[in-house]
Amino acid sequence: MRFCVSSQVVRLAYIKGRVHGLNKPIERVLWCQIKLDEPLKPEPGQFVMLWIPGQGEIPLSISDYSVDEGILELVIAKVGKVTTYIHERLKEGDLVALRGPYGRGFSVVRESTCLIVAGGCGLAPFPFLVRKLLEARSSVDVILGFKTASEVFHVAKFVHLARRTFVATDDGSYGLKGTVVDVIKDVVDIKGYDIVYVCGKEKMMKAVVDLCREHNVRCEASLERYMKCGIGICGACVLDPLGLRVCRDGPVFSSTILALIEDFGQSWRDHCGRKIPIPES
Amino acid sequence: MSVHTEVALAGLRLRNPLILASGILGSTASLLVRAGSAGAGAVTTKSITKEPRSGFENPVIYELEYGLLNAIGLANPGMDFFKKELKRAKQLLRIPLIASVAGSRPEEYADLAARAEEAGADAVELNLSCPHVKGMGLDVGHDPKLVREIVEAVKGSVNCPVLAKLSPNVTNIVEVGKAAIDGGADVLVAINTVRAMVIDVDSKKPVLSNKYGGLSGPAIHPIAVRCVYELYEAVGDTVPIIGVGGVMDWRDAVELMLAGARAVGIGTALYTYGLKAFKVILKGIVNYVKEQGFRNLMDITGLAHKYS
Repeated sequence: MRFCVSSQVVRLAYIKGRVHGLNKPIERVLWCQIKLDEPLKPEPGQFVMLWIPGQGEIPLSISDYSVDEGILELVIAKVGKVTTYIHERLKEGDLVALRGPYGRGFSVVRESTCLIVAGGCGLAPFPFLVRKLLEARSSVDVILGFKTASEVFHVAKFVHLARRTFVATDDGSYGLKGTVVDVIKDVVDIKGYDIVYVCGKEKMMKAVVDLCREHNVRCEASLERYMKCGIGICGACVLDPLGLRVCRDGPVFSSTILALIEDFGQSWRDHCGRKIPIPES
Repeated sequence: MSVHTEVALAGLRLRNPLILASGILGSTASLLVRAGSAGAGAVTTKSITKEPRSGFENPVIYELEYGLLNAIGLANPGMDFFKKELKRAKQLLRIPLIASVAGSRPEEYADLAARAEEAGADAVELNLSCPHVKGMGLDVGHDPKLVREIVEAVKGSVNCPVLAKLSPNVTNIVEVGKAAIDGGADVLVAINTVRAMVIDVDSKKPVLSNKYGGLSGPAIHPIAVRCVYELYEAVGDTVPIIGVGGVMDWRDAVELMLAGARAVGIGTALYTYGLKAFKVILKGIVNYVKEQGFRNLMDITGLAHKYS
């Protein structure tokens, strides 16, 4: 059948798996390992749609994936109906279903000097990216930003892989005091990097992208939008004026493209598709 | 000898017969423009309702080997917001802009159509066929009397061509098509998706949150061919038909044209192959028409009726 040929490229039917490990590094974040029935071929920065039968389906960044064990790692923040159910009810051994991997991920550059900048749960896709960058003989520095000490998590995942890891909190209760943007400006020399990867709140990403452009440093950012279909059909996650879909043309975009996106750092769409300003915090 | 790809459709002039079908990529001006740049002959918006609709909860889509099952739930920002998108699309597009509207009552359709035309739509398509939203689409589109009333009301409120999009989920599509023509429809569009369901055997639950959805893609192509054939047999060239349903390549498109379609809607193929589907399919149709010794793409419309 003709349709089958293409589904080798973009796979949509659910892949089943069982919850292999669960742990809450902080109250509002769940770290979840899923042992899959079938192998995936994900790239860092791609996402999956996780279906909890009877509850709903949500997009989640691939946090890490082990080819040998077939184990997928996800970082799940408690934000809505489905994630609250996952936080409160999901247990080891539960059957889950997912489709993907979808979207375009980060460029894995070879033998380069890289900087990763993450705000809060925006660190989700980076454990996988760091491993892939190291496999490609690149070196990686990491800047992690959190609101306060009680929100800090996953630092150890980066410390033992990255060349240098900086942690900052807004109130200075853990690590450096300030935002990730402050760390870029005051602590590291941004011009010394071949590429900067950023994920977190969009206003922060906009600031990082602008800084990189100012210093002529290549930059990639992973965007978040309300998603329905996840495969580029429904138009829920469109970016104006280019008509780029975060789910299929992204979620990772280069700073060259982002310079042309008037919505970046400004607006997104509600569940009906009305454009609304991105909230400040 | 070159082949003319232009198609005339109830006063609309299309540079080629491939139309972005409603429901896919038509949610913003930017996406409509992208489809236009990719080679579409005309573009159709996602269906717009009076009030904003957030649609159904996820999962709203599921892929099968032979097609896509969806129940997005007519998610749209409502006509008040969407008029801005229509205006922008009209400014940027060099091809006809078709606004799809969905409602429950004739006056509602008439009002939506009038506002769409005012905002710049070159034609309006009446969604009489969405199979998964209560009280809208198919719920009104299966009743020939109501279809006639809706089309009549819309014809009384706009000057632009009115397209009636029909459902295959009826006993007799010709009866509904004729009712639309009696109401004054300028073009028939056939078909919308086929009402369907998928159940996950592990959880023993329907996959879509809405349980029911609409099936598109290769699975429904032969149904579309049958519907277009039946409609053309009944109405001939009096009212042009846009054939929609599982067009994945030029053969599928040509099949619908031979059955009686003057133009062809593209939807699921844009998911499967991306936006390049427009150019690839058009090239195939042009080659076929040339090889068959015709000058115009329109020349092959309805030819299957001659040989049967």
